[in-house]
Amino acid sequence: MEEVTATEAMEGAGVGPELAEATTAEKKGFKVVVAVDDSEISHYALSWAIEYVLANRRNDCQLVVLHVQHSVETFMYPVAGHAVYAPTLSMDAVRKAHEENSKRVISRAVDICKSKHVDALTAVAEGDPKDAICEAAEKLHADLLVVGSRGLGMIKRAFLGSVSDYLAHHAKCPVLIVKPPKGSHK
Amino acid sequence: MAEAKERTGKRVMVAIEEHECSHYALEWTLLNLKPTISSPLLLITVQPFSPFTYVAAASYAAPPQELIQSMQEHQKQAALALLENAKEICAKHGVDVETITEMGEPKEVICQVAEKRNVELLVMGNHGRGAVERFFLGSVSNYCVHNAKCPVLVVKQDSGKKN
Repeated sequence: MEEVTATEAMEGAGVGPELAEATTAEKKGFKVVVAVDDSEISHYALSWAIEYVLANRRNDCQLVVLHVQHSVETFMYPVAGHAVYAPTLSMDAVRKAHEENSKRVISRAVDICKSKHVDALTAVAEGDPKDAICEAAEKLHADLLVVGSRGLGMIKRAFLGSVSDYLAHHAKCPVLIVKPPKGSHK
Repeated sequence: MAEAKERTGKRVMVAIEEHECSHYALEWTLLNLKPTISSPLLLITVQPFSPFTYVAAASYAAPPQELIQSMQEHQKQAALALLENAKEICAKHGVDVETITEMGEPKEVICQVAEKRNVELLVMGNHGRGAVERFFLGSVSNYCVHNAKCPVLVVKQDSGKKN
């Protein structure tokens, strides 16, 4: 049903060539990339995406779960002194801890996918979350990027910077920002 | 039966504005998120109050009544035309719509209506005014991303997307 009707609909609607092209690419798979981290809201966003975006279109939708691992800083700042190079041993230990964390996050995300009978690809990137997610979404040719947002208030956002805000501005593909459901803590 | 149908979809509202990007956003949604939408799809357009302040200033704070009225008429016609256009697009995709027209500050009204109508997904285009359109969100989209209580989908119009 999907393919024939979609093409007819496109021709009928006088859809511009770029959208038509993007949609024929859809036949090869509509790629949804969901960025996850430790937070509850990102897992909620993942469930939301599976339930409502993938919905009945499991066949031509591809879900990619993306996690950005904290990068290991090469400098340490002891309390009373100047910055020093971190000793290799502690760097390794930190890196290992980050990797363990990533594994946990990814496996929890994959569990969510499995429980809803969705096959997901996983990807791990490293670095500053905002840039890393943007870059990864581009490399993966994402058709839709899904992120959760806790909606930190105005002031916190100004100082802490919001990943979802950055992505809404800079990602090249449509971005879906999932907020916590009504009636939750906020 | 009707209740089961409601459950599988989300109440989706698309903000329609003069810019081409909101039509792109609407089409993208219809093409890619059709199963997500529970009937009817809400289309909202908000007419800003602002032009009237300019008219008042230009006429030394005493704008003739007819001018105001004709501007209001003109604006209403423009909004209706936008909605008609959007309705046609939806009809071609076989989607039922309900249209909403409001007056006021677009960003605030959109968020208010989204809350009042229990909208579960808000769709907007990006309005980037200015030279580097592709990289900036307009103030309406930006405001809604931060202030809407429901999930927000921002669809960017990207020329030369797939490479």
